Amino acid sequence: MKKLMARHETYVLTIIVIFSIVISIINPNFLTLENTFDLLKSYAFTGILAIGVLLVLISGGIDISFAAVATIAEYLTVSVCIAMGGSMVSAFLLAIAVGVLLGSVNGLLIHRFSIPPIITTIATMNLYYGLLIVITKGKWIYALPDFFRSFADVRVITLQTANGIPYGLSVITVIWIILMVITALMLKYTRLGRSIYAVGGDRISANRVGLNVAGIQVFVYGFMGAMAAVAGIVQALLVQTVAPNSIVGKELNVIAAVVLGGASLAGGIGTVFGTFLGVMLLAIVQNGMTLMKVSAVWYDVFVGLVIIISVGFSSWKQKTGGRRVKIDVREDLPELAAAYGGSGTDTERENH
Amino acid sequence: MRKGMKVWAAAALILMLAGMPAVFTQGQQAADDSYEIVTVVKITGIPWFNRLEEGVDAAAKELGINAYQIGPADADPAQQVKMVEDLISKKVDAITITPNDATALEPVFRKAREEGILIITHESPDQMGKDVDIELIDNVAFAQRSWDMLVEGMGTSGQYAIFVGGLTVPLHNLWADEGIKYAQEKYPDLELVTSRIPCGEDQELSKQKTLELLKTYPDLKGIVGFGSLGPPGAAQALKEKGLAGKVAVVGTVIPGHAAPYLKEGSMTKGILWDPKDAGYAMNWVAKYMLDGGDFRSLKEIPGVGPVSVEGDIIKVDAMVDITKENVDSFGF
Repeated sequence: MKKLMARHETYVLTIIVIFSIVISIINPNFLTLENTFDLLKSYAFTGILAIGVLLVLISGGIDISFAAVATIAEYLTVSVCIAMGGSMVSAFLLAIAVGVLLGSVNGLLIHRFSIPPIITTIATMNLYYGLLIVITKGKWIYALPDFFRSFADVRVITLQTANGIPYGLSVITVIWIILMVITALMLKYTRLGRSIYAVGGDRISANRVGLNVAGIQVFVYGFMGAMAAVAGIVQALLVQTVAPNSIVGKELNVIAAVVLGGASLAGGIGTVFGTFLGVMLLAIVQNGMTLMKVSAVWYDVFVGLVIIISVGFSSWKQKTGGRRVKIDVREDLPELAAAYGGSGTDTERENH
Repeated sequence: MRKGMKVWAAAALILMLAGMPAVFTQGQQAADDSYEIVTVVKITGIPWFNRLEEGVDAAAKELGINAYQIGPADADPAQQVKMVEDLISKKVDAITITPNDATALEPVFRKAREEGILIITHESPDQMGKDVDIELIDNVAFAQRSWDMLVEGMGTSGQYAIFVGGLTVPLHNLWADEGIKYAQEKYPDLELVTSRIPCGEDQELSKQKTLELLKTYPDLKGIVGFGSLGPPGAAQALKEKGLAGKVAVVGTVIPGHAAPYLKEGSMTKGILWDPKDAGYAMNWVAKYMLDGGDFRSLKEIPGVGPVSVEGDIIKVDAMVDITKENVDSFGF
């Protein structure tokens, strides 16, 4: 119980439950399977981007360029699919290849020239997005290939409303869930995953225990690129239109969701489950305001308040409670520990 | 040897940099004796102003003028001011412009006119410091037509909602104000369910908001959307919920984008004017005035339509309904 109380996720979950109860009292349509499925589909785009951002934040970096990467992967893939045909599988593979390439460039620049990640990614954001506009002249693509249209309507579970209208768990949501599970397992159980925490917790120590910091940084930004690419395709599936300016500008919303879910901007802290809760909290607040018949002028005010309350409460609780995140080299990275005799190589940090 | 290489490399680099500006300038090298008329748009690289540029190019070809279009990468008033200043130093003959901010541009407009440069604005009827403004729609008539369309789709009574691009976008909110006023007089049984929702420039958000509206107001019968992505988003949501055709969706759309929704019946009708006409009209009027013509005696802009002149505003009624029958005929 005490351990549970110390976890950031517990607070976010509590706030989600309280919100859900309040919204449901005002509008019983909120707590229906149909609304839940609709939300899980709509927010898959933000959610997938959030997975990538989470890894970058854990490694102690930040990425502003992912929206531009997502747009380029989306635009290029859809253009190729229109010109040469293909399938959903080839579309995802091509997009991911583009995303990994552009993302790795970020990682290489950051490591090679030691430029602060925020500056590097602001620069690459402008570069990527600018080139896209120069080459495409801002042209929108309306006529997506048929397999984009049909794939977007695929449901894994199909139910019917009282009026006989089908709804259900979209394949897009399933993609999101699979990516979350894979990432969570990687972070928790693989050497690579634990190394990302170690680099974010204390880069110098991580370097001293012999971790390949350069490789990990390139991996993290490459992974961000891959997630951005998948999110770009998901966006195309959701709106059935590709516009060069439709994703750029949503960066802060995604970063806010990840931080809301407990990741630290200082690095070393964060979980996939927390990130999922952060995304859902934002989703529920934005969804709930229309359902509670709140006037649109108040939307931003409420979103701001919810962020302050949930992050503030959790930080305050942790400050008074105290909490350490510990990467135990002996436990998490046994082969390294063996090589170095396992003493004096723990990386750990205070959480404030 | 290595040092020599470095010098060569540096020299090559300098040469390349010196050559760069020429690579990026576009289309300014025309005959010296034709008028140089520059169109400054709010933002480059979006479909709306790409279409406007087609009108500018058409005018350049047909009227024998050196006309071209420039604009900032984002809708930034300061960058437009800078561009106008550059055009003043360049001594162009006329500047036609869709201002991002009427007040910010007023001083440079005065400066340009002192230098003898003609200033023609578009989508900015209350602009100070201009020579003349051209409007392709009457904003009040445009709003009223939108509501008439809504009623055609949903009937004269029932619940409806309004989408705008943002709560501070002047034209969208002006149309919404005028439309609500018109509805209160002419269609008193229409009920606006909630204040206008700012989602019209984001299709995904418009779709999500429509889904939420349907859950909150199950009797919703219509949506008016301003900002070209509102109606398509709403149409998508309706299709997903099997409500295509049961809830009316009208508003501003880009024809090429709206075509599938109009054809499948999830969107009722769209309303718009063709930005290409705006690009052409501004340049036509500029040449007409540079030739010594007086805009007060203007009766028609060839290829665009008859005009009416009110003070220093030239009005052309170029409003068009976009239906499933004519949607493919626009070419954008």
